[in-house]
Amino acid sequence: MVPHRTARLRESRGMGGRNRHATDGAAPTRVQDPAFIHVEHLSYSYPGKARPALDDVTLAIPEGEFVLVAGPSGGGKSTLLRCLNGLVPHFSGGQVRGSVAVAGHDPIADGPQALSRLVGFVFQDPEAQFVLDRVEDEIAFALENEGLPRSEMRLRVDEVLQLLGLTALRHRLLTDLSGGEKQRVAIAAALAQRQRVLVLDEPTSQLDPQSAEEVLQALIRLNQDLGLTIVMAEHRLERVLSYVDQLVYLEAGKPVVAGWPRDVLGQIPLVPPLVELGKAFGWSPLPLTIKEGRALARRASIAASPRETPERGQRDLLQVDGLSFAYNGEPVLRDVDFRLGAGELVALMGRNGSGKTTLLRCVVGLLQPQGGEVRLDGISLRGRDAAGICREIGYLPQTPDDLLFADAVSEELAVTLQNHGLLEHPPVEPDALLETLGLQDVQACYPRDLSVGQRQRVALAAITVTRPRVLMLDEPTRGLDYQAKGVLADLLRRWQAQGMGILLVTHDVELVAQVAERVVMLSEGQVIADDTPQLLSSSPLFAPQVARLFPGRGWLTTADVLATSPL
Amino acid sequence: MADARAMLVWALTTLLAASYSRNPLHSLLLLLVVWCVYASGASRAKGERLPFGLAGFALVAVPFGAVLNGLTSHVGATLLFRMPAWVPLLGGDVTLEALVFGAINGLNLAIVFGGFAAFNRALSARDVLHLTPKAFKESGVVIAIAMSFVPQAVRNLQRIREAQAVRGHRVEGLRDWLPIVTPLLVGALERALALAEAMVARGYATVGKRDLQSRVHVLLAAGLLALLSGWLCYLLLPQARTASMVVLAAGMGLLGASLYLAGHSVEHTVYRRWAWTVGDTAVVLGCLVTLVVLVWRRSVLDYSPYPQLAWPGFDAMVGLALMAMLAPVLYLAIGGRRPAEAEDSRTHSAAGGS
Repeated sequence: MVPHRTARLRESRGMGGRNRHATDGAAPTRVQDPAFIHVEHLSYSYPGKARPALDDVTLAIPEGEFVLVAGPSGGGKSTLLRCLNGLVPHFSGGQVRGSVAVAGHDPIADGPQALSRLVGFVFQDPEAQFVLDRVEDEIAFALENEGLPRSEMRLRVDEVLQLLGLTALRHRLLTDLSGGEKQRVAIAAALAQRQRVLVLDEPTSQLDPQSAEEVLQALIRLNQDLGLTIVMAEHRLERVLSYVDQLVYLEAGKPVVAGWPRDVLGQIPLVPPLVELGKAFGWSPLPLTIKEGRALARRASIAASPRETPERGQRDLLQVDGLSFAYNGEPVLRDVDFRLGAGELVALMGRNGSGKTTLLRCVVGLLQPQGGEVRLDGISLRGRDAAGICREIGYLPQTPDDLLFADAVSEELAVTLQNHGLLEHPPVEPDALLETLGLQDVQACYPRDLSVGQRQRVALAAITVTRPRVLMLDEPTRGLDYQAKGVLADLLRRWQAQGMGILLVTHDVELVAQVAERVVMLSEGQVIADDTPQLLSSSPLFAPQVARLFPGRGWLTTADVLATSPL
Repeated sequence: MADARAMLVWALTTLLAASYSRNPLHSLLLLLVVWCVYASGASRAKGERLPFGLAGFALVAVPFGAVLNGLTSHVGATLLFRMPAWVPLLGGDVTLEALVFGAINGLNLAIVFGGFAAFNRALSARDVLHLTPKAFKESGVVIAIAMSFVPQAVRNLQRIREAQAVRGHRVEGLRDWLPIVTPLLVGALERALALAEAMVARGYATVGKRDLQSRVHVLLAAGLLALLSGWLCYLLLPQARTASMVVLAAGMGLLGASLYLAGHSVEHTVYRRWAWTVGDTAVVLGCLVTLVVLVWRRSVLDYSPYPQLAWPGFDAMVGLALMAMLAPVLYLAIGGRRPAEAEDSRTHSAAGGS
């Protein structure tokens, strides 16, 4: 049992005014700091739910800290964040026990409207929180409702625009912005009332890595330069760990683990690859950055043995030749050639707008290419509609929720079989498929009530129940925690072993490092590289953590390192 | 595009002109003017794709109006054919005059549609909030949200159609829309809840000052009671007409006072100043010119194909007056922009220069 703490000890601030975690193992100087946010023995149950979403949570957060809330889906991260501004229980109902205090205010008694001037809240999907259509108007919306004089509003809007680096975008339509820009506007809108605390619920989960980086850098600036207290739930621990003062780990049915990131990381199972290696090699203190990791790796004697490169599948299952496509005369795909073999798992990578999704949509017939040919097992798909092609090529789009509409998980599979006229003689037994996907216990549940990872597996089941020969997945790890990603990786390997050709479009380099046999890089609609995943190790943009830690060794995953360096 | 208030005047003028004119030549010219203004607003609404454009609407409304009136109105001298008398409602003569009359109705309907479609393109969500009186602030917010919601729903519909197609789904009948409509509606509900949560978290409150609100309720009830009493007295007591009018006036006054107080019970200020430009004045003046000429030359606007179809006359003065409604297009052609957009472009050029 981890003891609860009502006050935290923290490192003293250096000249730079920034907390830094010691890397040499020496005990840091610690001073007592009064807590700004107090959560005392907080328990909460949603209406009609027997199991509490939060169970006896106690936390203390001093002012100016950057706190990361982590843990698997369903662990209560969002619920805890919503308690900090009173959305829980005022918006959700339910039973609360214990207390919360933010700068002396009680969110549970006062409610979210009273707390709105103290706590800014940012949600996962930026588009779902916008009221107006232009950047400046959206930021001013809360100030107008507060009834502030115009001169004061102008000052505050200018302030937050500068803080978030949005000044050049102030008159732009929100629909014209990138995902990262939209999320920065949402943060600016949440801070326009000069809130002292910023709470963010997985603000980067819907964003590509580049946009996510933009948002995280903006947050780090707000914390470091302004001393803003930030409490953020996030799955991508590796991106923020080095900037975080406190890590809170929540897992359903287990006591809360909170404290210095290094201390907490040593106690929890879901950690980034760098920390996983540190734990495996017994490095102390655990590294949080690649720089720290390299210093520790130099001291350890790790044998250099390159990763084995698997042989490429013999038979080409999917052939794309000279594919070209343009939107309104703007070329998106230019003469794309590529092959996918039976039993081969290929990752298609590239920056946003490079044409990855367009390529998939052309392959399954959702878009009609202006030139080129797509063949499945040597037979052209020209003239066939998407519904027919997808009987043999499964395609999971970016938003799995778009597929789900039935009342029960098992019905989703039946609908696909019926669409293809396979209900009487399904190529795969639906119950067996649900079991393979770990969904047998929820087959009677309403799909939209499930977790993100489960919903995604239901969508996968709905498209693979026809036993397609090729499977194409578009950004399948968006919003998934480490555990759900691991489940997906295992599943893909299993299907690959059964001879399925899998094409994976993703920005998730760690997943690519784990499962891909080949990487195809797309840039401005053209294939610029088609090679083994080792190609990633030298890329400054796409290299996984392990490749950065051991440059030139050819290792991509912790498994590669541990396989060649027995402990 | 011109200021939303100027465009509101322009849209109302279009509505009046369409209802004044029965002359198909003038109506055709007006439709052309409206189409030019509608098309000129397309650049603002980047990426927007209506399910059908103004031209498409006119191509449906005109023949539909002609057929509907032709089959249901059996008046006119030029007999085209005769529907059997036993067909209910439709049985009888089908005349050329009735077809033309119906086509004119369809033409005017297209003008009204185009006028408001062009106005909608000129309107931002902020404009809706600012045009809405303070007493109806909540309604303004709802409309503003709906304005951003509709284009998003159109994008979601396309995405969901594709997602269902990859499951082998084909839309062949009405029932086939269920797998598309269900995720669309559920997604819309989820988004509505998320937005409500986000607005509450940003301190949005629909409740105004409580002391003023109770007075608003009292005034509103008293006003409605006075109006009802005045109206009943007016109907039932002919000898007390003057007293009834006084009570009705008092009721109107009380309702006005309740709206005034309702506006003041809401704490709301406006971030952006309305920016009225010379171009906006030109748009309003163009509308005034059109209205004055239409009233002055009203007689030439009257046209009826009954009893026997005759070629309509064309009045050059009315034609020129209708051309004055092209002011929003000229406004854009001479480089007219809202001050905010001008500021935006300065920012960009500065960034580009550095």
